[in-house]
Amino acid sequence: MPSRRFSRPRAAVVVTAAVALLLAACSPGGGTSSEPSGEPVTGGTLTYASGDAEPSCLDPHVGGNYPQALIATQYLESLVSLDEDGEVVPWLATEWDASDDGLEWEFTLRDDVTFTDGTPFDAEAVAANIAHVQDPATASSTGYLALAKIKDVVAVDDHLVRFEMSAPDSALLESLSQVWVAMESPTALERSQEDNCAAPVGTGPFVVDTWERQDSVTLVRNDDYNSPPADVAEATEGSDLPYLDSIVWRFIPDSASRYAALQSGEVQVIDNAQPDTIKSAESDDAIEELDAPRPGASNRIELNSGKAPFDDERVREAFIRSVNVDDGIQSLFFGTAERSYSPLSSVEPLGLSLPDLFAVDTDGASTLLDDAGWDERDADGYRVKDGERLTLDFPVSTNQSIPAEQSLFEQVQADAKTEGFEIKLQPLDLSSWYGVLAENEYDLVSAPYTKVGPDVLRILYHSDSITPAPSGYFANLAQVDDADLDELLTQASATSDAGERASLYEEAQRIILEGYYILPLYDQQNHFLRSSAVQGLRAMPTVSTPTFAGAWLVP
Amino acid sequence: MTLPVPTTGARRKPVPGNRHWLLLRAGGVLFVLWAAATITFFALRLVPGDPAEAILGGPGSQAGPEALAQVRREYGLDQPLVVQYLTYLGRLLTGDLGQSYSLHKPVLTAIGEQFGATLTLALVSLALAWALATGLAAWSVRGGRVAWAIGSGLELVAAAVPHFWLATVLILFFSLTLGILPPVSVPGPLGIVLPALTMAIPLAGFLGQVMRESLLTAMESPFVTTARARGESEVRIFWRHTLRHAAIPAVGLSGWAFGSLISGAVVVESVFARQGLGRSLLSAVQLRDVTLVTGIVLVVALAYTVMTLVTDLADRVIDPRTRGVGE
Repeated sequence: MPSRRFSRPRAAVVVTAAVALLLAACSPGGGTSSEPSGEPVTGGTLTYASGDAEPSCLDPHVGGNYPQALIATQYLESLVSLDEDGEVVPWLATEWDASDDGLEWEFTLRDDVTFTDGTPFDAEAVAANIAHVQDPATASSTGYLALAKIKDVVAVDDHLVRFEMSAPDSALLESLSQVWVAMESPTALERSQEDNCAAPVGTGPFVVDTWERQDSVTLVRNDDYNSPPADVAEATEGSDLPYLDSIVWRFIPDSASRYAALQSGEVQVIDNAQPDTIKSAESDDAIEELDAPRPGASNRIELNSGKAPFDDERVREAFIRSVNVDDGIQSLFFGTAERSYSPLSSVEPLGLSLPDLFAVDTDGASTLLDDAGWDERDADGYRVKDGERLTLDFPVSTNQSIPAEQSLFEQVQADAKTEGFEIKLQPLDLSSWYGVLAENEYDLVSAPYTKVGPDVLRILYHSDSITPAPSGYFANLAQVDDADLDELLTQASATSDAGERASLYEEAQRIILEGYYILPLYDQQNHFLRSSAVQGLRAMPTVSTPTFAGAWLVP
Repeated sequence: MTLPVPTTGARRKPVPGNRHWLLLRAGGVLFVLWAAATITFFALRLVPGDPAEAILGGPGSQAGPEALAQVRREYGLDQPLVVQYLTYLGRLLTGDLGQSYSLHKPVLTAIGEQFGATLTLALVSLALAWALATGLAAWSVRGGRVAWAIGSGLELVAAAVPHFWLATVLILFFSLTLGILPPVSVPGPLGIVLPALTMAIPLAGFLGQVMRESLLTAMESPFVTTARARGESEVRIFWRHTLRHAAIPAVGLSGWAFGSLISGAVVVESVFARQGLGRSLLSAVQLRDVTLVTGIVLVVALAYTVMTLVTDLADRVIDPRTRGVGE
């Protein structure tokens, strides 16, 4: 967690305060904020530069990826949110209640909220949104999965809505807090997908004004904004949010240009700050960092246990014992990333870390490989069994792995070579990368996954997720097929008892870690740099996207 | 390459007359467009990866089977490849470039939004490259042996530098050190300076190399000596006589140069975060947006052939020998 980083003197400024109440600096909720200095100032235009891809659709119901979440956080709001401690707090829904069997959920909605096109927010609007996400024509993927267990939505009255579930879902509230299933105006949803993608209509602090493709989106202030999540409302009571007049949301794919734009004052906030940039920004008094690791899974290398050679646990352990990841992270990330020993992000309160399993032990690795029958070496020093070399295919998505991470993989490759593993790194664009995964042509792979809550484990490691979708894509890339684990994950997702849920997820993580299915690396990196003129910037404790609802510019 | 001095020598091979010439060229344009559409279409389908998944997918998303089926139906991806190809060609004939799934809008609209920005960048870069090349060539031809060496050296280096490296150096110098130009594109003329300069410098290197050789030849030719003997000033001789000769091969190269500018735009538009076709093309390829990629390639091929046509026409105006006998 960020605590160690925050103890540095310079960074202390970044984190110690915040929209004062929002601030518990090291909360498991994942959100962090910068301490505002002085009184909020109204007005002004802030320019944000994103290094993520430009969304193809500004409505995060469609598809559903992180670039969409980043920008949609500024204009869409959800039924519930999380506070800095990771607790669910009211947002557009004020109260909720589940039936004892977990098959019915009732949400009481705010009755004073209006979408920016004038449509009232009510039970019918919620029903229309769930229907929109679940409609195959919408082509939702992330939101669709999050709401998979909702069978029917009934508007009980104007401001009471009931979800009827096909199975109990202990992750429902966490799922609903994600911006991928945020609430949009039902009137707007009735437009063509082209129109709705260009300017989705929500209840958030800003409104999509214009979208200049391949350049920028302009967001303007929602003058009637009245619905921040409960924790923000409490912290900013009496203020007329938002403070900014407008936000220009630019897409600057090149990381050096992005940082140059921040340094020269062209833009005030950048995302996807690279390790070397963060390091050099430390010496710049005019620039501050906001570190907000993403929730869900940690970044990890998954070992394909579905085929040889990793179907042998000894070979998996030998691989993990033979690579020194710590040194690589230290040197390539300049201390901006901390080593993880868990399948879950450090901001997930239920994450389990087992560092001992990942201690380097080359002698042990040798013995394990000898035992597994890989006891000969060929002329190049690689291990051989039955005339076949110990070769591992490692396709790398160049769209998802930053240069520092790709260098880390090269170090892993070099380390593993001394133990006799031949790793074939293949840099691929995203579509080709999906392609080789679908063909099961990989032994090692690193794939990010963001979702609020530990239920991400079920998506990633339940054996159901080995069955590919018709497209060939599947989430269980480690191909873990363990009946006990399946049972634990199914139970955990159904239980309504918090204590039981925690211990089920702990046991599940133990099985994943002790089975040497994954090599955890670090949290999903999510570093923002801001000009010190920007105050009140905060990362949502949900999926760690920045929110400008309470941000202002010091003149 | 150098050109023969026009006053002597046998008559060259007859060139087709203007009408034939135009017909032939128009046929050539159509062929290029068809080839571009076909090659792009199949090349994109040969690469691994399911377009339907790409339509729905992004990092960390997992599409449901119904959504995929829906997408396949909607985009005709459930049809055999040949059927998809023929359907596509048929639509092209009616001027319909199809629907971009990554932008959720018609390809023609999407290209229309981006074309102006890239065309402006390419034309400004071309003009800048011409100015730089002419200036350097003129200076080095008339400045003696040392200037010649410096000129040709500079051109060699300029022609060889990669765009992304040059962009970084320019940003470092003009934006971060001097602080006079924005490091990323901004609205207005100021925003185009660095991107255009990045594209113009390597191009100026190429053009300059070609120009300087022919400038020198022209300056040593009899008609220049005659003009000198008549007492015309050096400046007048340069602008009226020698430059015209030096320009002929460079004008011919400009058609090719225009094509290279469009591909350079992919890098430059990304580095400077500038709107344009190059960036659209890059993201369309990454997203496997087949219709958009094909549409952009077609438009670029069209622009390229039109530009070549224009330079050939210009050639006919500047150099009477290319005009042929049919007039």
